Amino acid sequence: MSTEPLLSVANIETFYGPIQAIRGISLDVPQGKIVTVLGANGAGKTTILKTISGVMDPERGQIRFDGHDIMRMSPDKVMRRGICHSPEGREVFPFLTVHENLVMGSYSRSDKAEIAQDLEMCYEYFPRLKERQHQRAGQMSGGEQQMLAISRALMGRPKLLLLDEPSLGLSPLLVSQIFDIVKRINRERGVAILLVEQNAHIALKTADYGYIIEVGRIVMEGLCAELMEKDDIKEFYLGQKQEGVRAGRRWKRKKLWR
Amino acid sequence: MEEEETVAMSLRERRWTGADGRQCVAYEDDGIGVSVPSMLLARARAEGGTTILRRKDRGIWKEVTWDQLAAQARHVGMGLKALGFTPGDVAAVLAETIPEWVYTDLGILGAGGISAGIYPTDAPAQVAYLLNNSGARVIFVENEEQLDKALEAKATCPALSRIVIFDMTGLRDLDDPMCESFAAFLARGEAHDRSLPGDWEAGIARISGEQTAILVYTSGTTGPPKGAMLSHRNILFHCVNGVRLADQRAGDERLAFLPMCHVAERIVGIYYALYAGTISNYVEGPETIAENLRELQPTIMTAVPRFWERFHSRIQIAVQEATWLQRQFYRWAIGAGLRVADARVAGKSPGALNRLLYGLASHFVLGSLRREIGLDRIRWAYVGAAPISPELIRWYLALGVTLLEVYGQTECGGIATAMPADNIRLGTVGVCIPYGEMKLSPEGEVLLRGEHVFQGYWNAPEKTADTIRDGWLHTGDVGEMRDGFLRVTDRMKDIIITSGGKNVTPSELENELKFSSFIADAVVIGDKRKYLSCLIMIDHENVEKWAQDQNVTFSNFASLARSPEVGKLIGRELERVNQKFARVEQIKQFRLIEQKLEPEDPELTPTMKLKRSFVHDKYRDLIETMYTDA
Repeated sequence: MSTEPLLSVANIETFYGPIQAIRGISLDVPQGKIVTVLGANGAGKTTILKTISGVMDPERGQIRFDGHDIMRMSPDKVMRRGICHSPEGREVFPFLTVHENLVMGSYSRSDKAEIAQDLEMCYEYFPRLKERQHQRAGQMSGGEQQMLAISRALMGRPKLLLLDEPSLGLSPLLVSQIFDIVKRINRERGVAILLVEQNAHIALKTADYGYIIEVGRIVMEGLCAELMEKDDIKEFYLGQKQEGVRAGRRWKRKKLWR
Repeated sequence: MEEEETVAMSLRERRWTGADGRQCVAYEDDGIGVSVPSMLLARARAEGGTTILRRKDRGIWKEVTWDQLAAQARHVGMGLKALGFTPGDVAAVLAETIPEWVYTDLGILGAGGISAGIYPTDAPAQVAYLLNNSGARVIFVENEEQLDKALEAKATCPALSRIVIFDMTGLRDLDDPMCESFAAFLARGEAHDRSLPGDWEAGIARISGEQTAILVYTSGTTGPPKGAMLSHRNILFHCVNGVRLADQRAGDERLAFLPMCHVAERIVGIYYALYAGTISNYVEGPETIAENLRELQPTIMTAVPRFWERFHSRIQIAVQEATWLQRQFYRWAIGAGLRVADARVAGKSPGALNRLLYGLASHFVLGSLRREIGLDRIRWAYVGAAPISPELIRWYLALGVTLLEVYGQTECGGIATAMPADNIRLGTVGVCIPYGEMKLSPEGEVLLRGEHVFQGYWNAPEKTADTIRDGWLHTGDVGEMRDGFLRVTDRMKDIIITSGGKNVTPSELENELKFSSFIADAVVIGDKRKYLSCLIMIDHENVEKWAQDQNVTFSNFASLARSPEVGKLIGRELERVNQKFARVEQIKQFRLIEQKLEPEDPELTPTMKLKRSFVHDKYRDLIETMYTDA
């Protein structure tokens, strides 16, 4: 038998008032792996992360993390168990300095020496942040804020890092730099990562395993290397079109998910 | 009122005793000429400005009058003639069910041509096959997507000389001398019509009833599709008599959504509607059928079982998710409905109390369910083309919808038997139509005779001779008759002979399985084998809902089908079905198909039936595992 995955989500359903955003999703994140969830706007990706980190409560289903049921736990308890969430749109504290923001990330910890050590680690991963450690976060560029958001989450010493669209609004070069570092963090620190992305290209290149969701349901899953070979993924997520008989084809074939 | 009388005046009645000893009655209508286009001319002359079609354009239902319909058909027909199209030539149409399909179809027929439909879900190779087989000179395509199929096919189709495109969106830069827009094509037709006044009418007058009007390619669960030839006479005979049998009237409203290539929409749908003066309302697209049905609330409806199943399961799911009180109301109301329905099926009076309760139930609960589906105004509804569960029909009867099963095939132009509304026998497909004859061969094969039977297969005289023998159409279906009611048990060639020498009719098992809401389709295997086994396609929506309710973990379709709990669920359903059969007829092993099949897939016919032979080939390895494991 295989060992229990670090995070195991089973059959969760989450609502925004009467609107059902997640219609039964089950997914696993194994120890030390990067798992990505891809989907269009409104597919329910962010809601999955919010449900895991306890910001939202599911109507039903099960969430197990590290051998414990964490469903309906408040976000701070979830965080103390080792899940840190880097939210969509970064959400850094704009009037606090970079340093203060990072310290906020270690709010739940009291081991001063280790916090200092982790701070150094963040600065090592993102030297840019070290340069700007006394600058207010709100005055930094989008890319720097993203680095800060990831670092702030790392300061909680997570076993599992939830990354919500780190590529949002960043230049392609910056995106590939940040993803390189994300990969390094995963390899060097052994942190498992659940990555939500719109940028299918970079996500599939970075992650080990992927789930595709559409309107709150998983339509496809598989190893990223295999997903990249699927026709539907190529056409609808990677923007590669088969050349038809006629140049300038506009119509899209039906998604079959296989 | 006067018009109705003149129509009635033109009717002639014929009575004879059929080979089966039944009294047959058929009508002829002398007021409509002998061809489909002559009927169009006669109706347009009489009805002129009245509405006959509706289509939804930017959210608003727009009307098409008889005059407009006739003019469109005329311009299509004259446009074809301007291209040198002569009587007996074939033109094909590759489009969803849209009014242009109707204009084009009537235009082709009016030019004396033969109209052949191609399913919009067909792959390019299939399109090429049909174009070649029919020898079509012109193809009308719906849009960019369908155009690409025609362009891919054209290299291998020497007869094809013109592609006409209905919707030019995205094709402004198209530069191909073979292609043109529908608008340009119509304009040429109109000019040609002006230069040759009276040519259109004269051409129509020359069309004989015996001339082939349409080629309907049989979906063919085995082998490549064959083109069934139906003459103008076949079609008009169906219209005049079928409309009377169904009591379809002028001013009835119907929803047009089934594929035009299928006789259900072509003959029972649009041609019946043109003859009767029923208004056909075209859905916006395949995705909006449910929504359009709800806003239209048609008065008559014909659909395949899949649609009736889907509406039913949608209500079931809504009920499960309703409040406790609503559920109690539903249970009570449908119970009252079932008591009245059962009395109706038994031919008994439900009694005053039950009638009163049903009145209340209908007013307070069932009415809103009917409105929710879109069946509140329905007078009758037909279901055919595939088997349907008697339980489902009972549910619709309880709901207050007279859902009548009909049976037929392309080769008889549509309906061969129909359920009488006042004498419903569940589990049968009703009685033979009064205007045709039916009998069973000694082997139990259903044989049909009459003027509704087709002319034969296009360019395949040996297949025709095989099908029509001694004047009887051999349907290939095996059935049983009791008091004139037909029960269809299987396709003749599908009968399985196990290695033990036992004859088994797989459809009986398959239909029982399909009646489970968790099973979409099933194929029973066992020819020359030790025992029977079965491949099952699960119903995605219902099984997914079940799994979610039971906290069965799954992600996508494949993982759902692989889940052991779902396997057990289907196993239980199978066990329930097995109970109804003798031991040798029981299914010993089964496997689930792990791929969600779509109409585009070669495994399915356009009406979503699994193709037996294809399934046998494609899943050979999977099938073998059912015989090696044991």
